Formats: sequence, structure tokens, C-alpha cells
Amino acid sequence: MAERIRRKRKRSREDWIMDTVIMVFCILILFATVYPFYYVLIISFNEGVDASKGGIYWVPRAFTLSNYSSFFTDIKWVRALGLSVARTIVGTVITVLFTTLVSYAMSFKGLIGKKYYMIFIIICMYFSGGIIPYYMVLRTLKLVDTFWVYVVPGALNLFYITIGRAFFEDIPDSLRESAKLDGASELKVFTRIIMPISKPFMATLALFVGVGHWNNWYDSTFFVKTKTLRTLPYLMMEIINQNNTTASQNVNASLHQSGNTTSLSVQTSAMVITVVPIIMIYPFLQKYFVTGMMVGAVKE
Amino acid sequence: MLMTEKKSFWKRFKKQSAIQAFVWAGILYLVIFNVIPMFGLIIGFKDYRISTGISGMFTSKWVGFKYFMEFVNDYKFDRLVRNTIALSVLKLIFTFPMPILFALMVNELRNLRFKKVLQTASYLPHFISWIIISGISFQFLSKNGIINTLLSSLHLISAPINFLTDPKLFWGLAVGLDIWKEMGWWTIIFLASIVGISQELYEAAQIDGASRMQRIRYITMPNIKTTIVIVLIMTIGNLLGGGLSGSNFEQSYLLGNSVNADTSEIIQAYVFRVGLQEGRYSYATAVGLVQSIISLLLIFASNFTSKKLAGSGLF
Repeated sequence: MAERIRRKRKRSREDWIMDTVIMVFCILILFATVYPFYYVLIISFNEGVDASKGGIYWVPRAFTLSNYSSFFTDIKWVRALGLSVARTIVGTVITVLFTTLVSYAMSFKGLIGKKYYMIFIIICMYFSGGIIPYYMVLRTLKLVDTFWVYVVPGALNLFYITIGRAFFEDIPDSLRESAKLDGASELKVFTRIIMPISKPFMATLALFVGVGHWNNWYDSTFFVKTKTLRTLPYLMMEIINQNNTTASQNVNASLHQSGNTTSLSVQTSAMVITVVPIIMIYPFLQKYFVTGMMVGAVKE
Repeated sequence: MLMTEKKSFWKRFKKQSAIQAFVWAGILYLVIFNVIPMFGLIIGFKDYRISTGISGMFTSKWVGFKYFMEFVNDYKFDRLVRNTIALSVLKLIFTFPMPILFALMVNELRNLRFKKVLQTASYLPHFISWIIISGISFQFLSKNGIINTLLSSLHLISAPINFLTDPKLFWGLAVGLDIWKEMGWWTIIFLASIVGISQELYEAAQIDGASRMQRIRYITMPNIKTTIVIVLIMTIGNLLGGGLSGSNFEQSYLLGNSVNADTSEIIQAYVFRVGLQEGRYSYATAVGLVQSIISLLLIFASNFTSKKLAGSGLF
């Protein structure tokens, strides 16, 4: 009895120290993660010229909506936003359909040459020719400097083929067979039977591919020259580059001032506009990404 | 015998011809977007001109290792290789262990609601692009950014710190941002592995009088060893890309500038600059190939080491 009490007391002291240390660290990490986003949010609602003086930490000092109104009245930003939305929707639909179709076919029992197809896919997953030969191919296909360069090159997601194959292998064969007996073609089997029951897989794929499209800036940087074809992340990158130049030239950063907004403050509103959709789909993402990642890791 | 086998093969193939067509749609796509570019690597050994198109890749004149030598003799060679390797190795040393430590901490949290909030928040930066992260870094770390303003208003510094332009600070900046962005995300995989450990082990250890630290050291750590090895192999597989998140290029491109170029410029960014911006396609391809070869050697070396040490590898 006495010993039990002694052990319990000893344990609770260790517990107390550990719990406190861990709690302090975790609160710091939480703050360091959330505050930067919060800061951008309040700056986006503050007058740009005023914000460049610094000293704003918790609430906007000179509240304004002008950063957002300059964003939405500038055809350059609005067009970029529209293009980003369009490429995300079109690109996601294409990738999800194509990847699902190929991974379903790859899961087919008794598929002739399955082993070799898989080896081929894995080789393609790990090796690439690098950006220059890739650019040549895009150029030959006349994809460079068109909208299609955003959506065609990523149409097949190899990583998700490996996940999708595992998913489809769990679907009972009898389901497909019975439909075949009714005289349905393979394509019909796929669209009428396979697709409806593979919603969880397609949803996961769509969320990750969608976020990838929404965030992608380098295809617009590498493969597009036409100014009217630039996406939202590209425009933000341009401003970052300007900031970078001014930072390295040692002059004050708030250039391109118009009224009480600056290019920097309009950019903060663009940042908020980019991050908000991601936060909105976040609950859905969260539902799927743990399993998605675990399968991925096992497959790796 | 052979005839019937052959016949049944075609019969079987014909029966699944629609499925084969689906697979081949994918294969064809990969041939165009992956295999042809792989063959395109030969332009690194040739005098290629863009005006000759795809076929020019194969018909242009061989020049052997001319462009490789040109790269090796370039005054930037040492800097590019040093920065590429330094950034990669620093990330391996500092970014890689963070999710493990964080997972151990999160697992010890008693307050379940706080635990959930913390996890949810910590994944978020993974889904945010480097563009946004660079924008945020600028807001926080530039000369008149929030950190410098705060430090000088507290009289901790007399002159603002040039986080974004000081060449001495770039590696630290890159690794720090990498940790900030990816730590929470990679914690998922370690936490899932910790949750899978049988509770009975912990109870037995507790009865034997093991302290909490001892339980972490002797039960949790050995049980997540396999996961750690898997993630480590994945990291080393993409070492020169920047490890887990593959962030080297984006960081170098977005946060590098003329002032900190001495520590921020890496091979990948250089390939882009000389290739797509200056149009020196053959040279850029040769430079990219150098990086691929170093990468490949690292993958084989890490695979070999992990097979020796842990008994399992990538292939």
C-alpha cells in the first residue's frame, strides 16, 4: 500500500513536469502556425500605406476594404483568378477520370501483362527526363502558351494509380460480372457501376489534385508567356520577385502606391483569397488524407 | 501444345480488349509525357537547336561531354553543387526528425480537444503553396516586417536583420520554413504508427515501474522504427530535391535574390535559368543530368545502407 502511494506520487511529479513542458511547446507551435495566417488576414483589411509603417499585431489599425476592391476591379487579378478557378475545375475533372479509369483497368484480375505495366508505371514515377526535354515535348504538341498546358500534362497521377489499384482490387468481381452478363460494355460497367462505388477514392484524388492545381505556379512561369494566360499564383510570384528586388536594392518596399493601397497590400488580399478556398475544403480533406497518406506510405 | 497456348492467349486478350485499351491509353500518355523526355536527355550530349523540333533531338550533332565539361569548369559550379548538397543535407538533419519529436509530444497530450485543434492547425501549412509562404515570409521577415519592428521596439536589435537577403541566413531560413510548413503533415504518419502500438505493452511497463520517458524510449521508439526507416528512405530518395517536401527549387527560386545568391542558388534553379530563360537547351539538359546522376547514386547508397541496417529497403 505504502509503496503504491510512493510510486503514484513520484509519477505525478514527473507527469507534472512533462505535461507542462509539452503543453508550453505545443502552445508555441500552435501559435507559430496560426498567427502568420491571422496576421495576413488583418493586414489585408488595413490600409496599405498605413500597414507599411508596421506596428499592427492584433487588429487592423485603419480598417478598409480597398485592398479587396482594388483586387476585384483590376482586370489583371480578376482574369488570373478566373483562370485559376477554370484550370482547377477542368484539370481536376480530367485527372480524376483518367486516373480512375487507368487504375481500375490495372486492378483487373487476370490482366495480361499486368506486372510489366506496373514496372513501367513505377519507372515513369521515379525517373524523368528533366524540365528541358519535357518542355520540348510540350512545345511540339503545341501546348506551350495555351490554357491546355495547365491541364493536359498532369492528366495521369501515377502515385494515385498505385493507390487506386489497391482500392479497386477490393471490389468483388461478381459485381462486374453480373453487369457484363446483362450485356453492358466495359465502359458502361466503369461509368455505371465502378464509378459510383469508388466515390471515396475519387473524392480523395479530386481534393489533392485540386489543391495542386490551385497552388501551381511553375507551369505558368515556365510554359506560358502570354500575359492574359497567367494564373493567380503567378501574379503573386511576380510581386514577390519585385519585393525581392527592392529588398536587395535596399529601398523602401511599398512601391506602386495608388491611393491608400500598395502592391503589397493588394497582394495580401490575393493571399487571403487564395487561402480561403483551401480552408473551406479543409474539413473534407482532413477526412481523407490520413488514409490516403498511410496507403501511400505502405505502397512506397 | 504451343499452338493452343498461343490461341488461348489471344482469346484471353480479346476477351479483355476493352480493359487493355484503358491501360494502353495510360501507357501511351506516359510514353508521350515521360518516356520521350527521358530519351530527350541525349540532347545533353548533342548540339541541339530548338528550331529543329523533336526530331532534331535525334538528328543533331554529337558533341560528347562538351557541355558537362563546360558546367564543371563554370565559375558557378562549386557554388551550385555546394548549395544543392548543403540545403539537402541540412534538411535531412533538421527537418526529418521534427515530425517524430512532434508526434511524440502530441501523443503525450492529455487534453483531447487541444490535441485535435493542434493537429488540425499543424497540417494546414502543407496545403499552402510556397508562393503564399514566401509572401508571408516577406511580411514577417523583411526589413520593415513584423519581426524586425517587434525586435527593435523591444530594443533587442539596433539595426534590422536582413533575414531575406543576408547570404549567411539563407540556409537557416530555408530549413526553418521547411520545418514550419511540413512538420505537422509528416507527423500524421508517425502518430498513426504510435496509435497502433498495443496498450498492453505500456500497461506492463507501467507495472514494472517504467517512467514516462522510459516508456517512450523503450516502447514507443522501437515500435515506430519501421515507419521511421520508411520515411527516411523516402526522404533520401528525394534528397537533392529537398527531402520530404521537395522544397529546394521553390525556396531557391522564390526566396533567392541577387544579394543572397551565393548561398541560395542551386542546380535546379540554374537549369531553369539557363535553359528556359537563356535558351541554352543542351547545356541545361547536361546540368540537369548531373543532378539526376548524383540523386540516383544517393538512392542506391541509401537503399543499400537501409538494407544492411534495418533489413528492408525501397527495392
